[in-house]
Amino acid sequence: MRRVRVTNETEAAEAVRAAAADRTTLEIVGRATKRALGHPVFADAGLDMSGLTGILFYEPEELVIAARAGTRLVEIEAALAAKGQMLAFEPVDWAALYGGVPGQATLGGTIAANACGSRCVKAGAVRDHAIGCRFVNGRAEAVKAGGRVVKNVTGFDLTKLMCGAFGTLGALTELTFRTVPRPDRAPALVLRDIGPDDGLAALRLAAASPLEPTGLAYMPRGIRPEYGRGAAAIRVEGAAEAAAEKLALLREKFAGHETQILDDAEAGALFRDVGEGNFLADTETDIWRLAIPSSAASAAAREAGAALWLADCAGAVLWLGLPATEAVATRLRGIAARLGGHATLMRANEGARASLPVFQPEPAARASLTGSVKAAFDPLALFNPGRMYGNV
Amino acid sequence: MISLPEPDTRTLARRREIAAALARIVPDGVAADDATLRAFDSDALSAYRQTPLVCVLPRTADQVSEILAFAAREGVRIVPRGAGTSLSGGALPLADGILLTLTRMNRILEVDLENRCVVAEPGVTNLGVTKAVAHAGFYYAPDPSSQIACTIGGNVAENSGGIHCLKYGLTTHNLLGVELALLSGERVRLGGKSGDCGLDLLGVVAGSEGLLGVVTEATLRIIARAPAIRTLLLSFASVPDAGRAVAAIIGAGIVPAAIEFMDRRCVDAVEAYCAPGYPKDAEAILIVEVDGLEREVEEAVTRIGAIARGAGATSIAASADEKDRARFWSGRKAAFPAMGRLQPDMLCMDGTIPRKALADVLERMTAMAEEYKLGFCNVFHAGDGNLHPLIIFDVMKPGELERAEEFGAEILKLCVSVGGVLSGEHGIGVEKKALMGEMFSEIDLAQQERLKCAFDSGGLLNPGKVFPMLHACVELGHMHVRGGRLAFANLPRM
Repeated sequence: MRRVRVTNETEAAEAVRAAAADRTTLEIVGRATKRALGHPVFADAGLDMSGLTGILFYEPEELVIAARAGTRLVEIEAALAAKGQMLAFEPVDWAALYGGVPGQATLGGTIAANACGSRCVKAGAVRDHAIGCRFVNGRAEAVKAGGRVVKNVTGFDLTKLMCGAFGTLGALTELTFRTVPRPDRAPALVLRDIGPDDGLAALRLAAASPLEPTGLAYMPRGIRPEYGRGAAAIRVEGAAEAAAEKLALLREKFAGHETQILDDAEAGALFRDVGEGNFLADTETDIWRLAIPSSAASAAAREAGAALWLADCAGAVLWLGLPATEAVATRLRGIAARLGGHATLMRANEGARASLPVFQPEPAARASLTGSVKAAFDPLALFNPGRMYGNV
Repeated sequence: MISLPEPDTRTLARRREIAAALARIVPDGVAADDATLRAFDSDALSAYRQTPLVCVLPRTADQVSEILAFAAREGVRIVPRGAGTSLSGGALPLADGILLTLTRMNRILEVDLENRCVVAEPGVTNLGVTKAVAHAGFYYAPDPSSQIACTIGGNVAENSGGIHCLKYGLTTHNLLGVELALLSGERVRLGGKSGDCGLDLLGVVAGSEGLLGVVTEATLRIIARAPAIRTLLLSFASVPDAGRAVAAIIGAGIVPAAIEFMDRRCVDAVEAYCAPGYPKDAEAILIVEVDGLEREVEEAVTRIGAIARGAGATSIAASADEKDRARFWSGRKAAFPAMGRLQPDMLCMDGTIPRKALADVLERMTAMAEEYKLGFCNVFHAGDGNLHPLIIFDVMKPGELERAEEFGAEILKLCVSVGGVLSGEHGIGVEKKALMGEMFSEIDLAQQERLKCAFDSGGLLNPGKVFPMLHACVELGHMHVRGGRLAFANLPRM
């Protein structure tokens, strides 16, 4: 496949103009770490955005950072960490999941895949923190959306639309994010040897408390032998005293359970493994992710019938090791549809991703709207054809 | 002055027929006589008034669908309205438009404590959501100052904020899903208790000012009320000192629930109005609220006090009890009426700026006020940079409304020039649409309008709002897509 590497927005627009002129479709890639998520794209050429790098500005006292889309996430995170800040959604790069090298994911790809970790249970997803962007649309126009302040109702929030669009609407060139202070402490309490029903109920109880937990994961038997029947992990944050107080309150709330305290590093590692999908990544299994109301988590996990699974976000997200087959797709999509949720095929070989819907199929009226929105940004359907649905 | 689309004379002539058709959909909910319609002739931007063609008040989502399908079929414009508290004229009626008022759809459909959410119809008030869950220790975080009256549908339309956004976000961050009625009469679910999949259409519906569809149901995140809340009242001898204190609090990694700023003019006005006992001779005061667990809050109060001292605060008071808290807030909450009584009319502006620009922006605004010979004051959600200059004037004095509007427009241009935006939480509506070019290029705006065309190819839903110019979708190269497929996809089009 021909690959066009661009290093600035003007070149990106030029590349799109050329593609539009001779009707060549484009696969937009950064460092290509998440190409295996979504339907396989068979485009005429690749548009390599990884050359658009660099932080444009970072103003810690304003809690805002802007960077070019090809900037690696690790660079952003290092710059923020140096000032005691972070991106609130705990970005993940799913390196192990897709057989990549950690630290390669770009900011643009993270936005396009809405790749957030366990902290999103409290902080929201990528879309809740992206406040402005620039992109090249399918008319080869450079478009600005949003701004550099959080509170903004000036026109439609196109930045949110770019989050999780998998590059089907435009080629992102610049992104602006709000940042948050890094908490002094972020330890976790683990309830050990606890079954799925009780473990997930405990997570929901913690979620509904004023302790503002920032990680709520359940790992059933088989994830780690030392956890016995399973483990429910609850991460809390704050200044040293506040974090200690929260742990004490959790212990009190769950008195009678066998508990273990994880220090900041241990808790960080555990939730990184959860958010990155690492507990499933090093197996051979295909992987699905089911989003459902958390109260339905244990019943849905049983019905899904995966031997290897775990729950994040208090049960609102289930990672399931299940084969990418028609039968499994029908079962999971049935569960999701009944509960008002959705099932995504996170990892499978190219053949399976070509034949099965990767994302929850949309009802007709919604699908029609999706098609219209796609055409509003990319009328010639140049970008990432079919990555999500149909020609979108 | 604002301009609205030229009324369609054929539609104006069809008023009785249209009212009769709507009455077949909602038998007890159509108003078409001038006396009744006058009650709906403006929202909270009351300088602008327009009697609608007809007003319809549905009770169910099916009725909303039927009304929209009727409007689309007949080519009649339609303006959605909640409680009419918009400060930007977002719900200003059109002479040839149906006013679709959603206040009778005011039921809480579900309280789901286990999944920490409430499902509500669009006419439920903002405070009504909190009232439905307060017994269990929960609340709905976005708290616009009109929360006793404003509705959830309107909150979604304007992406409403409030004083606690710094920590808890705006409507969009607390909105899990909507059911949206489209002009086709179809209803789509965007998100829900489990969030959304596919293109983030929910993200663009929030803050879309009623231009894309009509919310018939919203799923809202509720959160547990913090066990401890304390409020500090800090005063400063200069605006830059107060600005430095805000920067230092945030720089120290503290995320207060709210940081509110009031300038001297505002403090003087509220002292004369309700005597909250704010420090005399302060050039600026800050109200800082922290919430969380007891010890966490104590620690934050101590740290904020020390930071304020370091920034040169002339007085520092922390609330000892609820009575103190209420008193500290009483002045801030009375700012609008306190200013309002100094002159017959008031414009409440709404822009956002980077926090660091505060002192500079206020200084330049003071110079402008002298030039325009108008009174004004500033309240400011300092934590997130959202500025609310209140301009007072007398509409009966020739030229004052125009001068006030011009002053307001200059303020917003100033906000944009320092890196800010035209609206933080009130929306563009009709009030600020002429200024959109200050922030966006024609290309940027055309892209936004094309998104509107994807939802409303006939330009019937709330036309004349947000965008400075009305373009027909065909001018923008819009193509109609049916069932996810573009007709004649192989034809060259750009």
